[in-house]
Amino acid sequence: MEGILQGLLDLSGVGAAIVFDATGQLVDYRGRAIYDRPLCEQVSGTLNRAVDTVRLQQEDWESITAQFADGKLLLQNLAAPGARGHVLAVIADATLNASFATVAIRVATNKLRRAIEGRPADSAVAGSAAEVPAGRQPGNGSRAAGSGSQPLPSDSAALASSGVSWSKSSAVGLSRVAVANPASAAFLSRCAKQLARHVGPIAKIYVEEAVRRVSPDAPFSLAVATQLVDELASQVEDSADRAELLKALENP
Amino acid sequence: MLVPQLIAKLPEVKGAVVSDRAGGVIDVVRQKDGESVAAVIGFLSSTVSEAGDHLGLGALHMVSFTGPARGGVVAVAGAQLVAAFVEPPGSLASVEKLLAAAIARKEA
Repeated sequence: MEGILQGLLDLSGVGAAIVFDATGQLVDYRGRAIYDRPLCEQVSGTLNRAVDTVRLQQEDWESITAQFADGKLLLQNLAAPGARGHVLAVIADATLNASFATVAIRVATNKLRRAIEGRPADSAVAGSAAEVPAGRQPGNGSRAAGSGSQPLPSDSAALASSGVSWSKSSAVGLSRVAVANPASAAFLSRCAKQLARHVGPIAKIYVEEAVRRVSPDAPFSLAVATQLVDELASQVEDSADRAELLKALENP
Repeated sequence: MLVPQLIAKLPEVKGAVVSDRAGGVIDVVRQKDGESVAAVIGFLSSTVSEAGDHLGLGALHMVSFTGPARGGVVAVAGAQLVAAFVEPPGSLASVEKLLAAAIARKEA
């Protein structure tokens, strides 16, 4: 299933591809750093409520599209019409090519249906962020973790010794951003999520650029977290929003 | 209310409902049980908006859904929601465009 979701993630403008089951449990996902596992778990539950609501009006729904100011949500029913089952959700920004996405989602839907037939409908398995190895995804203390979330391991020597890549690839083809340890990666994800509340999906790009400014020659570490937060705050025009961001990130 | 009257002129639109964001019915055109539909679209827009907030996607503009025989669209028009139910579902895109244009004119 990961390969199918990765195919969707490779589409320009796509930030994450999620599969959740009829109970709203995250089954699998692929996503850029900003869309980490806790966030995807939380959104799966919310989207499942939306699907249940659409069912009240249209039991045999096949697809749902939500258009926002800064992006789109595309949901596809992976079960037979009228039946409850898995749902594919694709999260995209405004650069998504709708025609390409329609074709790609249709292809992915067929493949996912075949893949799901080979596993129990209510099985919740570990997904993976594109940027961070499975089981090492950054945590987020401000969000309620779902049943499948993995806590950040206390012993992170293996990753800390080599430096991990926070970002495998960016939406605009920027180079990788290296981090010194898992805690630093978790902090960058937190920064991107908090900043996204104020500037939208471009937050990840702002974080990548800010990291390169505050730590140009070495992997990003929490030692320069304060400078990074100051850089990010300068991207927020509204003073109240800026203060909110600074407060949210005051403890790296 | 101009927007539902406008879209209700289309033969593909089988019914339309206008509600406030809390799901209170404001106007109903050719739609049975408008009050329950208004409640559904109110809750739907609230839930989808919540997902969009989590994902940093900004303000919700429109939600549409399709099935084998029919489809529906819920558009956000300021403090109101406008829903239209369309048959066949292939006509949904043109109704979405018309709704978006009508709302944009109304808000201008």
